[in-house]
Amino acid sequence: MTRPSERGFAIVGKNERKVDGVGLVTGRSKFVADLLLPDTLHVKILGSPHAHARIVDIDTTEAEALGGVACVLTHKNTPTTRHTTAGQGYPEPSPYDVRMFDMKVRFVGDRVAAVAAGSEEIALEALKRIRVVYEELPAVLSIDDALRDGAPVVHDEKDSTGIYDAPRNIVADVDIDVGDVVKGFEESDAVVEVVCETQYAQHTPIEPHVVLAYLDSDERLVLRTSTQVPFHVRRIVAQTLDLPLHRIRVIKPRVGGGFGAKQEVLVEDIAGLVALRTGRPALLELTRAEEFIAARTRHPMRIRVKLGAMEDGRLHAIEMEAFSNTGAYGAHGLTVLANTGSKTLPLYNKAENAHFFGRAIYTNLPVSGAYRGYGATQGYFPLETGMDELAEKLSIDPIELRRRNHIRLGETSPIFEKLGEGREGVPQTVKSCELERCIGIGAERIGWSEKRGKRVREGPWVHGVGMSIMMQGSGIPGIDMAAATIKMNEDGSFNLLIGATDIGTGSDTILAQMAAEVLGVPLSKIIVTSSDTDITPFDVGAYASSTTYVSGTAVVRAAEKVREQILSVAAPLLNSTSEGLTLSEEAVKTPDGQRVGLDRVCQRAMYESDQFQIAATASFVPSESPPPFLANFAEVAVDTGTGRVEVLHYVAAVDCGVAVHPKLAEGQMEGSIVNGIGYALTEEMLISSRGRVRNPSLFDYKILGALDVPRIDVVLVDSYEPTGPMGAKSVGEIGINGPIPTIANAIHDAVGIRLRQTPFTPERVLAAMHAS
Amino acid sequence: MRLRLARTVVRPATLDEAWRAKGEHGDAARFLGGGVDLALLALSDVTTLIDLSGLGLSYIRIQGEHLRLGATTTMTAAIESPLVAAHAQGFLRDVLRKVASPLQRNLATLGGTLARAHPWSDVIPALLVLDAELLLYDGSEKTLTLERFLGERGKSGVPLIAEIHLPGMPEGVRGAFAKFTRTAFDVGMLNVACLGAIEKQKWTGVRIAIGGTPALATRLRAVEEMLEGKPADVDQITSAASAASDAIDVRDDRRASAEYRRTLTRELTARCLLEIAQLPERISP
Amino acid sequence: MKLSLTINGVPRSVTADDAGETLLTILRREGYSGVKKGCGAGDCGACAVLLNGRAVNSCLVLAAKADGAEIITVEGLAMGGRLHPLQEAFLDEGAVQCGYCTPGMLMSAIDLLTRNPDPNEHEIREAISGNLCRCTGYAKQIRAIQIAAKRMRDGGDD
Repeated sequence: MTRPSERGFAIVGKNERKVDGVGLVTGRSKFVADLLLPDTLHVKILGSPHAHARIVDIDTTEAEALGGVACVLTHKNTPTTRHTTAGQGYPEPSPYDVRMFDMKVRFVGDRVAAVAAGSEEIALEALKRIRVVYEELPAVLSIDDALRDGAPVVHDEKDSTGIYDAPRNIVADVDIDVGDVVKGFEESDAVVEVVCETQYAQHTPIEPHVVLAYLDSDERLVLRTSTQVPFHVRRIVAQTLDLPLHRIRVIKPRVGGGFGAKQEVLVEDIAGLVALRTGRPALLELTRAEEFIAARTRHPMRIRVKLGAMEDGRLHAIEMEAFSNTGAYGAHGLTVLANTGSKTLPLYNKAENAHFFGRAIYTNLPVSGAYRGYGATQGYFPLETGMDELAEKLSIDPIELRRRNHIRLGETSPIFEKLGEGREGVPQTVKSCELERCIGIGAERIGWSEKRGKRVREGPWVHGVGMSIMMQGSGIPGIDMAAATIKMNEDGSFNLLIGATDIGTGSDTILAQMAAEVLGVPLSKIIVTSSDTDITPFDVGAYASSTTYVSGTAVVRAAEKVREQILSVAAPLLNSTSEGLTLSEEAVKTPDGQRVGLDRVCQRAMYESDQFQIAATASFVPSESPPPFLANFAEVAVDTGTGRVEVLHYVAAVDCGVAVHPKLAEGQMEGSIVNGIGYALTEEMLISSRGRVRNPSLFDYKILGALDVPRIDVVLVDSYEPTGPMGAKSVGEIGINGPIPTIANAIHDAVGIRLRQTPFTPERVLAAMHAS
Repeated sequence: MRLRLARTVVRPATLDEAWRAKGEHGDAARFLGGGVDLALLALSDVTTLIDLSGLGLSYIRIQGEHLRLGATTTMTAAIESPLVAAHAQGFLRDVLRKVASPLQRNLATLGGTLARAHPWSDVIPALLVLDAELLLYDGSEKTLTLERFLGERGKSGVPLIAEIHLPGMPEGVRGAFAKFTRTAFDVGMLNVACLGAIEKQKWTGVRIAIGGTPALATRLRAVEEMLEGKPADVDQITSAASAASDAIDVRDDRRASAEYRRTLTRELTARCLLEIAQLPERISP
Repeated sequence: MKLSLTINGVPRSVTADDAGETLLTILRREGYSGVKKGCGAGDCGACAVLLNGRAVNSCLVLAAKADGAEIITVEGLAMGGRLHPLQEAFLDEGAVQCGYCTPGMLMSAIDLLTRNPDPNEHEIREAISGNLCRCTGYAKQIRAIQIAAKRMRDGGDD
């Protein structure tokens, strides 16, 4: 295969300015709430004050009578169809356990009613006038509570489907094995077992969930929404509101971050119904508090990992048992759970015996959903700290232990086939893997051999270094589909129509780069239109690290088809056949230097002879999910007087195949690492004994700011994925998985404690130091 | 999130006008300095805002040995002032730089932050150890120590703060401040402010104030007296830090447990005192 | 309540619902949609504008306070069709991902560079410490500000 340097890409691999960049730095780009339509109604939601209750009665007369109120919605006047809010491919692997407005509330903040009024103030006043009579029910506020015999049942309704065992509060159950782990552990020379717990965390995109719903001049419902999944929104809203799908258009404008929070249909159904009922535009924007309480979170999990290895460090048995708290509704419950094993265990394919089993559990708590990393983030905590412990037990250097066990080029793992996104996966072989180089580069940059085990002291601070390795995936094989349409204009420019969803990741830009590369034009000649269900072809949306690999391949295929058409029109102009002609520098060229400009070619096709529109559509469904690989190294300092942990230096050496846009790839890594450090050290949603979120604000839920971030070195290790567009793999998620285990291992190097519960707050760290 | 029905803005030219406007409307009127706390509180019963910007209280001046800061001086103005930088070797400036974010510091006033007196206030422990006095107006001028002002809040109406007055500090006086947060842009789960000088290797003029316990900062006079005149060595500091830890009034809350706050008190008080005494050691765990 | 403001150099008379309305809602209602709302409580900095030359959270500025003020929003940065060096640097360095925090962050950066044309890294971090970003991890934004500062020192506005 040609290496990227030999291929001499013109645009791929360059740090072009983002195609949407100027609009963003000038503030001219319109996000959802920036488009003002006359007569817009403001929608506010009434949330339940109780963790678990029946709505005995709900009286909205006073609210409806308030001047300026256009519409009040409750279970009495809205559709009853059970659906999922999870933005996933149909049929969604999540239970249909949500009603638009239910007669039962299942967490504090669950929907009770909604009001649409002429202003936010009126809507909020109207909410206060809704009279609700609740019958409080006993609530389950933890996994253990929910699994106890005779526990209250969160979903006792008859019309929900897709729940593994509703009477026992079990949303999903996964159990796969390879070989015989029981025997494997018996045969092992060393066995290590760790149990880790992760906390409720929230994505906190700086732009909250927001939608503007309105009827166009043909009375079709238009949803202009901040989403990661426009096509899933269209389908699920059609289902929920019992509307024909073709009467709905979903448009995604600029989006202010998603990270998984917006892989969900949370606000579009309400705004849509208001627009339909009133004929007026309806704006629904969640407050920051609602983002914490009533949007989505990361699944808190309790995971036990047991590792058995031979004396020489070769893993012989791995067992992972995961319990995840999916909250009051089951969106993404099965798939996050399965991902916890499917994106972690194949990394150590040398273990002949493996067992993954787990359950996703309902509780009367905030609803967990998709969040960057998607279960792998939780799973790597016990796995990579367990490996660190195993290394210590066997007196093998932690790096060496990884080297002896990780998957390599040309290898496979039976887990690939046995465990996919909530169902069986797909067998695959690793076709690109630079993990060894990642490890070597990272170790050198952090100063591993100079610093490991030295416990250098600086006043109250003790230094330590730790490492971890990981893999993720690039899309969901056999399930994710992306498509692209390219059409040519007579000045030699092209419209690129893609369903792929740019939520700030820069997918518009990198997909345009790929098209430009194939078509031999500068980036400015590719005009991108994305994520409009009326105009752009299908794409599952921005999740599962699918955009670069899956949407990218669709774009390349469409561009190749268009190139063939261009060459066929150009050939007679150059007295040649298509063979041997190339596209570059906005022209079709013969080997001996003749050229005809692309504008000339399109003019001919559009106006002169055998006229046709040069255009093509192509689709792609991946048959495998080539993993990016990552080696993380961190140097930390632990304050032995207060327990504070400071990350001094973080190195992430990543193999994501060819980086289509190095700065955007680095940006994905840097952003996900900083998010991961917050998840490791400072971020925690606190829940009261009555199931209420105690800190639903950025004042009280602390994400990292510019003064908190350590020195971060991201190294994009040169690599090439033969099945990937231009050799690329995806990189959107993997970075967030590193900080927890890397920092935990570094803390152990520094002060000899093993932390099992995130976040590693100073108080927890100090307590652990005193206990040991 | 906004004040409802705040229809009227009064722009007085004198302290007396301002005070009388408040008297006219009672609780329905609020003084507007930077307006930060008013915007956050979004009280629905406020109908009148009394704008203090016309009272000429945005000054920083030296009078004799005293530093005088008008109440509507913003935190940023204080941070950027060479007079504040010169006072107690820049102690107040260093503390102000840790409050909230630059965006808030550009707007928030010193008077406003004292009037609000958030229990996690960084400014208050710093001003307590600086022996700050407040020039107040409640129909007539009066001067109270900051400590007394804080103690008397809620008993009757809060007087209008006109000026913060910091007595001059002898040359050797140094301060140290520790604010223990989760991230940098955060309120402290504990704040420790210490001030003092070492003369002939003995402590003099020791001041210690600890806040965010989660209660509002208070001076730990017993601990100050313990240290006064004693040798400036690690043992004395260790004892003082332990005494401080026992003396504070703590509770559990979202940010920290009471027990951890005691640990932090001991550790951070010691570090502040060590910094002032310019000793390199640590106290033993 | 009628307010007299100068917004991006242009004198404007705008109507606030009342004296307690915030500058954020007023500016957005007047069409300055580059000023973003992220939390409404001064915690995220997405709403930052320059008020009489200093960067502030517009969600914390009451109408009564803003009256008579000079305000610069992100829409006022580009001069005569040319981007401000900070905007250029943000684009060049990949410091813009979703772009939602960008306007506020640019305001904080301008405030800094106006007073301190040669800031060190700590000073840059401190200047943007009130602007939360979830996408970038801040690395490229800090770098972009350093580069813009150098360009502005070396050659004025290009």
